[in-house]
Amino acid sequence: MTYYIETTFLTKKFGDLTAVDKLNLKIRAGEIYGLLGPNGAGKTTTVKMLCGLIRPTSGGANVLEHKIDKSITPFIGYMPQETALYLDLTVRENLTFFGKIFGLRKDKIQERERELLKFIHLEKFADTLVNNLSGGMKHRVSLACALLHEPKLLFLDEPTVGIDPELRVSFWNYFIELKESGISMLITTHYMDEAGRCDRIGFMRGGRLIAEGVPSELLQSTNTESLEDAFLEFAKGISAT
Amino acid sequence: MKIYRLFAVVERIFRYLKNDKRTLVEIFVAPIFIMLIFGAAFSTEVHDVSVVIVNNDQGLSVPSGDMPSKLSDKIISNLNTSVMKVEYANNVSQAVNMVENGKAYGVIIFPTNFTSDFYSKLQNHSNSDNTTVALRLDKSNSNVAEAISKTVNAAVFKTVTDIGSEMPISVNAGDAIYAQNARFIDFFVPGVTTFSVYQLTTLLTLIAFVGERTSGTLYRLMASPLKETEIVAGYTLAFSILGMGQAALLLIVGITVFNITVVGSIILAFAVVTLLAIVSVSLGVLLSSVARREIQALQLIPFVVLPALLLSGIFMPTEAIPSWMRPAAYLFPTTYTAEAVRSVLLKGWGLDKILIDVGALFAFIAIFLVLAMLTLKGRE
Repeated sequence: MTYYIETTFLTKKFGDLTAVDKLNLKIRAGEIYGLLGPNGAGKTTTVKMLCGLIRPTSGGANVLEHKIDKSITPFIGYMPQETALYLDLTVRENLTFFGKIFGLRKDKIQERERELLKFIHLEKFADTLVNNLSGGMKHRVSLACALLHEPKLLFLDEPTVGIDPELRVSFWNYFIELKESGISMLITTHYMDEAGRCDRIGFMRGGRLIAEGVPSELLQSTNTESLEDAFLEFAKGISAT
Repeated sequence: MKIYRLFAVVERIFRYLKNDKRTLVEIFVAPIFIMLIFGAAFSTEVHDVSVVIVNNDQGLSVPSGDMPSKLSDKIISNLNTSVMKVEYANNVSQAVNMVENGKAYGVIIFPTNFTSDFYSKLQNHSNSDNTTVALRLDKSNSNVAEAISKTVNAAVFKTVTDIGSEMPISVNAGDAIYAQNARFIDFFVPGVTTFSVYQLTTLLTLIAFVGERTSGTLYRLMASPLKETEIVAGYTLAFSILGMGQAALLLIVGITVFNITVVGSIILAFAVVTLLAIVSVSLGVLLSSVARREIQALQLIPFVVLPALLLSGIFMPTEAIPSWMRPAAYLFPTTYTAEAVRSVLLKGWGLDKILIDVGALFAFIAIFLVLAMLTLKGRE
């Protein structure tokens, strides 16, 4: 079994606050792994450490079977929680810029732009300033920017926060489509209901992984009908001990 | 460092400017506006100051030779009319009344026996108080009050010198070592060029970089192959090019519109301002680590921009700063730049004579760039 993400006792402290607490996570090649938990559970901090944006306080992690440094960046895609786009640039100019810093050739960038604009259904807005797009459109452009260099592993940090239910459904359709094209994904979310579409999910609380498994199994083992209830069951178990 | 990634950053910034015309206007129109406003309106000289003269001088009926019969009139005729607008009053109380009503800034009083006492003083070397020209001034505006004193002194000096050889000492400032015909604007243009480039480049970089941090794009860049050195180098290159454009524009306006004195190498002056632009970019990146939001960037202005404006010899020489405070001027790169540009343009100094200033600017670049890089690398 190939693990694209493997952490061992990964820990991050901010002063007195332990954001991520001895996290052991194994994410397989080819799967969509959902990291679920309430706000402040340590999901974003985990993703930032895995992308090399912040350094762990202790413990370690491998991404794509390699220690985390600049050499993994061509193979990972990162969609931050914030829109993280240049608002005064057009959609195409944003895509081109991210293509260039990944060292893509000009014709390759043009080809990827065509594919991705079609994928996110924004062909007509290619030359519109990002600032003039709706929130949902910006989210789609943000996803496209993370995909431009054809990463093997995609980090999606709360990709569906603040977008309407309809678009949320289409986002999950994008994710399934991407998985079928061979991209592995780590998705963080606090919308538990949508996470049923992940291959496996992990529940995070207080910086720790409190449960992990295939969604249907988690429901079965807690005898619940929704992932939200399942999470609450596991959280209760933790509080009791 | 990969040059194509660096150029991607530069291109990104220029595309942003192409799409954001307001910032372009700020970069190229604002400095010219500043120079025109300051150049036209700002000066240490005052003009058309209303002054009331009370002339009680009776004169002397039999002056010897070509001596004036009424010395007071001679002095009045020697007053610089561009500085003063002269009115007359019959007595002191009437004149003072005019000052009190805001119609004038001062009163010049000539005593009754002014001329006769002056001549007897010349012949007998006797002491007499009646040769005193009394000034009663409204000193609430010290600039104006000083200008009146200076003008009257100059007129007295000129009158006495004109009369003959009696003045034992004379001063001649007509033969200058440097900048024979310099005016205030000649001193000012190098200063305002320095200040504009410093202020606009620092703030622009600061705001652009704070934007990278707050919008989350910096995270995206850090999760890409782009290195910190390439980000900073890209910013430095792009904004230095803009700073150079500004500097060129300001020097051209200074030379063509204000016809400033240029005896030295314009290219050298330009190169010095370019160095300042690089200092300013690295300072902007460095400061962006202190400011987490755009508004906090503006809050830095009183600490970064205003002291540079007042301490660096932009409007007034650094010698005008109290001596205990003067060392602070040398904490600002603008001090070295203004000094060097002035020396090059007005005195015609070459690189060999401004090495200290240029060295200081390189030191600023090294320090700020290293610190800026550390703020990017030293993430939690």
